[in-house]
Amino acid sequence: MNPLCTPRDHTFSRRAFLGGGLGLLTSPLFAEAMKQRDKQVLFVWLDGGMSQLETWDPKPNTEFGGPFRSIPTSVPGVHFCELMPKLAKQMHKLCVVRSMCTKDNAHSSGVDRIQRGDPKNRGVPYPHFGAGVAKLLGPGSSGLPPYVWIKPGSGGFRAEDAGFLGPKYGSLAFGDGKPPDNLLRHPDISAEQDAARNELRQMLDQRFAKQREKRVVEANASVFDMADKLMARADIFDTSKLPERDRERYGRHDFGQHMLVARQMLEAGVRFVKVTSYGWDTHGDNFNAHAGMVPKFDQAFSAMLEDLEASGLLKTTLVICLSEFGRTPRINGHVGRDHWPEAWSIAMAGHGVKHGMVVGETNDRGTEVKAQPHDIGAAFHTWYRALGIDPMKTEFDNAGQPLPIAHDDMLPIKEALA
Amino acid sequence: MHRVVLCLLILNAHTWAEEALLARKIEALLPTKAAAANDAEFLRRVWLDFDGGIPTPNETRAFLADPSADKRTKLIDKLIAAPRFAVRMAEAFNVMLMERRGENEVWKSWLVECFKTNKQWDTMVREMLAPDFLDEKQRGAGYFITRRLEKVGQQDTDYPGLTRDVGRMFMGIDLQCCQCHRHLSVNDYKQIDFSGLYAVYQNLKLQLADDKHKTPWLSEGLIAAKYEFVSVLTDKKAQTAPRIPFGEEVMIPAATGDDGWLVKPDRKTKEVGQPKFSPLREVAQRIPAPENALFAKNIANRVWFILIGKGIVEPLDLHHSENPPAHPELLELLGRELTAHQFDLRWLIREIAHTQAYQQSGAHQRHLTAEQQLRAFLIATGERAHLEKNTKPDMTVDAFKYSLTDFEKAFTAALANPAKEPELAANPSLRSALFFRNSDHVQWALKLRAGNLIDHLAKQTDPAEELYLTTLTRLPTAEEKAELQSWLKAHATNKTQAMADYAWALLSSTEFFVNH
Repeated sequence: MNPLCTPRDHTFSRRAFLGGGLGLLTSPLFAEAMKQRDKQVLFVWLDGGMSQLETWDPKPNTEFGGPFRSIPTSVPGVHFCELMPKLAKQMHKLCVVRSMCTKDNAHSSGVDRIQRGDPKNRGVPYPHFGAGVAKLLGPGSSGLPPYVWIKPGSGGFRAEDAGFLGPKYGSLAFGDGKPPDNLLRHPDISAEQDAARNELRQMLDQRFAKQREKRVVEANASVFDMADKLMARADIFDTSKLPERDRERYGRHDFGQHMLVARQMLEAGVRFVKVTSYGWDTHGDNFNAHAGMVPKFDQAFSAMLEDLEASGLLKTTLVICLSEFGRTPRINGHVGRDHWPEAWSIAMAGHGVKHGMVVGETNDRGTEVKAQPHDIGAAFHTWYRALGIDPMKTEFDNAGQPLPIAHDDMLPIKEALA
Repeated sequence: MHRVVLCLLILNAHTWAEEALLARKIEALLPTKAAAANDAEFLRRVWLDFDGGIPTPNETRAFLADPSADKRTKLIDKLIAAPRFAVRMAEAFNVMLMERRGENEVWKSWLVECFKTNKQWDTMVREMLAPDFLDEKQRGAGYFITRRLEKVGQQDTDYPGLTRDVGRMFMGIDLQCCQCHRHLSVNDYKQIDFSGLYAVYQNLKLQLADDKHKTPWLSEGLIAAKYEFVSVLTDKKAQTAPRIPFGEEVMIPAATGDDGWLVKPDRKTKEVGQPKFSPLREVAQRIPAPENALFAKNIANRVWFILIGKGIVEPLDLHHSENPPAHPELLELLGRELTAHQFDLRWLIREIAHTQAYQQSGAHQRHLTAEQQLRAFLIATGERAHLEKNTKPDMTVDAFKYSLTDFEKAFTAALANPAKEPELAANPSLRSALFFRNSDHVQWALKLRAGNLIDHLAKQTDPAEELYLTTLTRLPTAEEKAELQSWLKAHATNKTQAMADYAWALLSSTEFFVNH
């Protein structure tokens, strides 16, 4: 038995906390544990473009308002679309920005542009927000891959998400929330044997590194280390042992179950977790489509907020929810809504942002932002600030060339910051 | 100082084959700073580059012991003349040209045949760009285009993607941004350069295999007018006839209506028709031509990349005046000489292999491709012949549960880069690490089985030497020998397993993952 304690012995155990009863919440020990806990991000991406009018910014009884009513939320004066009754009860945890105004109305370029923060063109691809956070904050004490992505369909590693930061900071996608191939130790190999031969491999690599380019060995070493960490936490992919009630609360649909895996990832200490839901591009039959999809989103996202609050993780986790753009107020001939980057909404919660806050306002028809519009660059400033990173003082290093981490001409959305 | 270097170059040059003229010219342009690779490093490198695998311990011993001064030249020539050379080049070109879009046997055998018969690169490109689907020997070449025109889900047929790839692969220019407007960061690339090619490829239709055609094939429509395009930036309209980038427009014949058809389309007989004027063939003649300087430079740069690990121009598909080559005279020389040698790739490869730039130490260390790793792994573990023979796997018998195809699939899944991206570097990934650490394939190959590595090592009095020669193509140091001894001693209760674990550590190590 190793007499020294490992980093994991120091990480705060959620189970210990939950089992400890409420008294622990106010104890100095708890406060200390929370402070030490790494900051994390949950990034929910609704691919194709969620309609702001059927969700965060309803305009009932107006020209473009559509058939749904609005309902009051837990914050007086703030209304959501009736398709989000559960989130309406959690508005006091949320910060909704209704004044997003971005530049790209195409999916192919827009998805990337928004996720890279649409900075000034420097001739190099910028990292996605997740890759930027992975680079600036590192994997944290968990040692788990810093930027994971839970999505329907296929998984794999997406190096291009890291842009000029280099493949190391790309996203590790778990298709359908499933673990990667070969995650479990081979049944013919004992744990001791597995550890011993892996140590031997490390020793051989360290010697090789002395005579060769370090970079090559480091690239190899880092993926083997990550494999090690992930093997030790293979349990985070397994939702089958969770209480039946949990699985019901998140909803027995892809997005719900993926959010549940995301919760386990956050609890295990993954720095940045992205969850994608596809199919929001409702050019036709917008209202029936939203009536089908929004309640599922409402269910899983609100269950997540409840759980993060109960476990205390919401104090250290920045939660972000957005699409590549919103949808047109004008309803097209197919009873659909098209792409509308001119006036749409994003929602945030958790660490570093105000709670129960609505920032900005669109006009009565929902076509334009009243007063100050905010581009995605401003949102990046806001998020980095919320994580305690000052974009005015922090730069990326593009092979020796310092580059700003967020659009250099933009500022954070001040009203949103706690 | 310069004179001394030059004298050394000349001295060195004399020890190599006299006819390697281009190699000498390259060296005159590229004085190398690093020391020459030692024999073991050189040996492993040329094997990986020209065979795709690694030498056996006996081959290594023989080469290291050979005192003759021209042994490197002889080895290069031997490997290039061997049948494996064509397969290895076919693998490298398959990855380069198809970017992991899946495997196709007809295409693969066309590639192998090309390198076996040393078909000139311009001929190869003509066959790819205007395939004769009725010629059994050529139809495999058609896969370059037909694969790219296959429909994916609800998406439109990717004509722009095909247009882009023709520019990238055969002229080293990525015109993607010029589909909708002039290129914003590359002044040389105009919208007309994309549109002139697009006019040709959007006119194609992918047809399914039928009685006459053994593979999917292409039909062309009738082009009677120029192709119109609009810049989304300026709303300015323009038009172009079929045209290769930076070239002249191809004259569209004035034939109209029925006169335009060689074979008229007919719905009743399901005849799709064949126009007299074939823009596809016109462009396929004009791209691989000596007058098109980028054609020669592109392939010279790509071959240089395959052998040296770095392009003279990078990215490989961004040749333009504001992205000059790292060494303009070198690229100029390679392009010119390759053209003068009728685009003879084997000649070019051999010349580059004979340069000091190729033979220097450690300079182009890089990770092996999935194909190289598989072959090296199977040669090292001694399981290659066994798997090749086992074409009908039997899951119930452990020794026969895998075929070579199973291993090819598993290694590609674990080690190849994602599809549709240039595979410039095989980066280690979590996926590859988990594969080596836990997969059954790796575990299976390291089980004791008659004739394999573990069996062989058990019979050795000095297993360290055999193990290091087999896996890393070099002799172990005294320290490494001692380490293996103490490992075996510490795990004496199960010697076979201890040996397998040591072999596993070497085969999963960075030294095994890289060329030397």
